[in-house]
Amino acid sequence: MFFGFFRRKKKDHGSRKEAKDRLQAIVAGRRHSVPVREVIPAEVFKNSEQDVVRQIKSYVAERFMVNEENVRVQFEEHNGYVVIITNVVFH
Amino acid sequence: MAKVYVVTSGKGGVGKTTITANIGCALASRGEKVCLIDADIGLKNLDITLGLENRIVHTILDVVNKKVSASEALVRHKQLKGLFLLAASQIATKEMLSPEDMKRIVGELYGKFDYILIDSPAGIERGFRNAIASAEKAIVVTTPELPAITDADRVIGLLENAGMGEENIRLVINRFKIQMVKRGDMLTKEDIQENLSIDLLGIIPDSEEVIVATNKGIPVVLNGNQGHGIARVFENIALRLKGEMISVEKDLQTEAGKGIIEFFKKLFSRN
Repeated sequence: MFFGFFRRKKKDHGSRKEAKDRLQAIVAGRRHSVPVREVIPAEVFKNSEQDVVRQIKSYVAERFMVNEENVRVQFEEHNGYVVIITNVVFH
Repeated sequence: MAKVYVVTSGKGGVGKTTITANIGCALASRGEKVCLIDADIGLKNLDITLGLENRIVHTILDVVNKKVSASEALVRHKQLKGLFLLAASQIATKEMLSPEDMKRIVGELYGKFDYILIDSPAGIERGFRNAIASAEKAIVVTTPELPAITDADRVIGLLENAGMGEENIRLVINRFKIQMVKRGDMLTKEDIQENLSIDLLGIIPDSEEVIVATNKGIPVVLNGNQGHGIARVFENIALRLKGEMISVEKDLQTEAGKGIIEFFKKLFSRN
């Protein structure tokens, strides 16, 4: 007990590990963005939009075992990137 | 012909202006002819960092409005004959300047300087697009915190999208706290570099010297610190821009042994 008084309290661990994991998750997510012009012209995308929505809905519904009506898909463009926003409603 | 660099970041307050001023001074004190352009329209801080705020006659807005030429609007630094500043306008908004204006301004100055450093506003909106329009290379500044690093990642993506090759984008990590890294409470330079995947141009340890120098309006590399401490780090960065191979580990060596010196300084100082 006497010697315990002088012993330095050991920290569980620093916050670096959490920071590193979170950074990797954020950066990896962003790296998947693809500039629109490198894929297809905007007009072509407009024509195939519904088809893309259908495919995403079907994939997400199967993956999360929900009805397709519970999957909402939206497209937004930010600085030359197409952002696909998918909301899944779980009951 | 000048090498044109934009000094940029995603997050504000990471130290772009201080870094631009100090790299500019370090290059100019080595005989290079350097022009610093403050593209942070509406805020105008580079002149204050350089101690030139009372000498500004014309701003970048006067050049855009063709009242004066870019060369006529330049202000020479008090101590360094080879260092010039094109100041931002405080009354203007970013919308008053276009990427084409910036290209014209840099085009006019291109043949007259060895280096042109453009201090960009933070963020990815119009001001950012103006600042990068005429730059061939970029220095992305981040601090070791997550929001600054993730925003830097976004900026790197936009620079690449704008056609800048990965080899032309280099990273500076500012306000690096070595003691926190040792404690395991801060991301290491390897963690940051691994995630951003660009070359490291320099690591600037957190330092009170920079604040003191900015208070005086004298960049730290001119504040009687040449060759020492944090000034040495800016000098290393300038030399790397000139193509010299200096290990980034040298930036951190300026801090080595400082702990014990600081301890004795504090012990014997009064007040």
